[in-house]
Amino acid sequence: MKKWFDTDTFREILDSILRNKSRSLLTGFGVFWGVFMLMLLTGGGQGFKQLLMKEFDGFAQNTCIVIASSTSKPYKGFEKGRNWNLDYGDVDRLKNMVPELETVSPTVSLWGKTVSRDEYTSSRAVVKGARADYANIETPKLKYGRWLNDADNLQERKVCVIGKRVYEELFPEGGSPLGKRLSVDGSYYTVVGVNWNEGDISVDGRASDSVVIPINQAKRAYNLGNTIHLLCFTAKPGITMSDVTPRVKEVIARRHLLDPTDEQAMFLLNTQLIFGIVDNLFKGINFLIWLIGLGTLLAGVIGVSNIMMVSVKERTTEIGIRRAIGATPNQILGQIISESIVLTLVAGMSAIVFSVLILSGVELAMTTDGMLKAPFQVPFWTAVLAAVLLAVLGVVAGLMPAARAMQIKPVDAMRDE
Amino acid sequence: MLIELKGIHKTYDNGQPLHVLKGIDLNIEKGEFVSIMGASGSGKSTLLNILGILDNYDEGTYHLGGTLIKDLSERQSADYRNRMIGFVFQSFNLISFKTAVENVELPLYYQGVGRKKRHDMAMEYLEKLGLTQWASHFPNEMSGGQKQRVAIARALITKPQIILADEPTGALDSKTSVEVMQLLKQLNQEEGLTIIVVTHEGGVANETDKIIHIKDGIIGEIEENRSHSAWGGSIIK
Repeated sequence: MKKWFDTDTFREILDSILRNKSRSLLTGFGVFWGVFMLMLLTGGGQGFKQLLMKEFDGFAQNTCIVIASSTSKPYKGFEKGRNWNLDYGDVDRLKNMVPELETVSPTVSLWGKTVSRDEYTSSRAVVKGARADYANIETPKLKYGRWLNDADNLQERKVCVIGKRVYEELFPEGGSPLGKRLSVDGSYYTVVGVNWNEGDISVDGRASDSVVIPINQAKRAYNLGNTIHLLCFTAKPGITMSDVTPRVKEVIARRHLLDPTDEQAMFLLNTQLIFGIVDNLFKGINFLIWLIGLGTLLAGVIGVSNIMMVSVKERTTEIGIRRAIGATPNQILGQIISESIVLTLVAGMSAIVFSVLILSGVELAMTTDGMLKAPFQVPFWTAVLAAVLLAVLGVVAGLMPAARAMQIKPVDAMRDE
Repeated sequence: MLIELKGIHKTYDNGQPLHVLKGIDLNIEKGEFVSIMGASGSGKSTLLNILGILDNYDEGTYHLGGTLIKDLSERQSADYRNRMIGFVFQSFNLISFKTAVENVELPLYYQGVGRKKRHDMAMEYLEKLGLTQWASHFPNEMSGGQKQRVAIARALITKPQIILADEPTGALDSKTSVEVMQLLKQLNQEEGLTIIVVTHEGGVANETDKIIHIKDGIIGEIEENRSHSAWGGSIIK
């Protein structure tokens, strides 16, 4: 008994495919194009998703930010239109009353400050006061040094972490700025870190425009008293933010005597909601990509089937001869299906390789300062799935022509054209 | 008795029934060199197809080397064809994208013989037929006579008991025709092969030892032709 695969069988198949190069090429092109589009679109979609996610760079996906605003309803003797502020009491209260919260971190921000390195070099920046645990809300991408720590805050150290743009303006020569001193409003702060985050979310100024100092230091330097500007929190893993926010609102509203039904008195920015929207958007886009890709692929496969059909017709004599000299119908079936598989696989694989090359080119174009902005790549398992799918489609494409080939009787070979 | 046909009937049914073979009784001994002669439409090709297990019959029995050939599965008939019968066709029926030696190898490929052995055997047979230097040529680079010799080598390589030749000289000029018939005669005499040639040409039939005339689906005269004088002793084109 013959082995299922041996070099002989393979040579037979290759012979048949290579014999008619242009036809094989055109046939394969249908499949090639289908797979190429599918891979390019999935890879591209992935990349654009990453690119969009970049806007939220550093932000934890289950973050919520509370901002105080003026009331729109009178409550407990207060008129409407009252301004109120969040304070440190809210931080502790939330931590105690809502156990689902992981990190509750206050920040203050002071806009339009001038940060100077010396009398000639200065930059406009937002001075933010934050605690060490703010890193859980917006993860810093540290190019140099470290983030603020608890000791910085407790000892009210005059240290700062500067953003990318601030760094570039103050240190145009590059290199590590650690240990350098910057002056803001007459106080000097030692640089302990550079945050390379590039997110465009500007809740209280972009990360790249910021000079972050310990919140206790900010409180003292700017006489902020008990006031905080933003209250950021994350939920514990597995907890949906939207389930927690009503409780958070309730706790804060009770403490500040706000009408619980007042929707305007405080604003909650729930990043999970935004991430959800983006996620859904890309799920939709992905669905369309697969729809188009698979459609094109299917058209290609039908093309292969069609051409194989013609090819079988054309090869009636050849197949008849093979049958006359002893090929069994199964051997003929095997040959036609194998030809179809090889044709589909070779076309499909080169499409995968080609699309990966193109995507790498896109990546190269997107790379700035040696840092990749977003990976435009075909996920490994997508490629594997595509390969398996191709083999299956190859069989399917070969079935009908093979069935026809099996019906060819050896007698057909003897008929003269 | 190598071939034993009894009361073979065959009817083609393409729209209206066509009764082609109307009771063929025929015995062919091992080592015979016979020709089947008849006008077109006489049923000689159908008979050859049945002998070659390329087609089945409706009635009667066909014993090949003692085995009843009837209602075989495709797989079995492919196997019998492969091992017992060698075909030589009018239009050579070589596969055009394979070289001479690859064409000769093909039946062994379907027997599952390894490539090296296959190649050696094919070369041996090509040598026997004086085609060694044409081994790596494609069919369209060869003359008609050479092509037919390649086809004969292909028919011989499985060491069959019967060679069935369907108008083997039909596409050849008279000089080459003589050569091919000489070759078949030589194979018959030297190797003891049973050879059945189907033809409508008297000159070709005359080269064989026995001429079986078939007319309107039944066997007519069976002519002993040891002296090869039936048709004036030459191939007439």
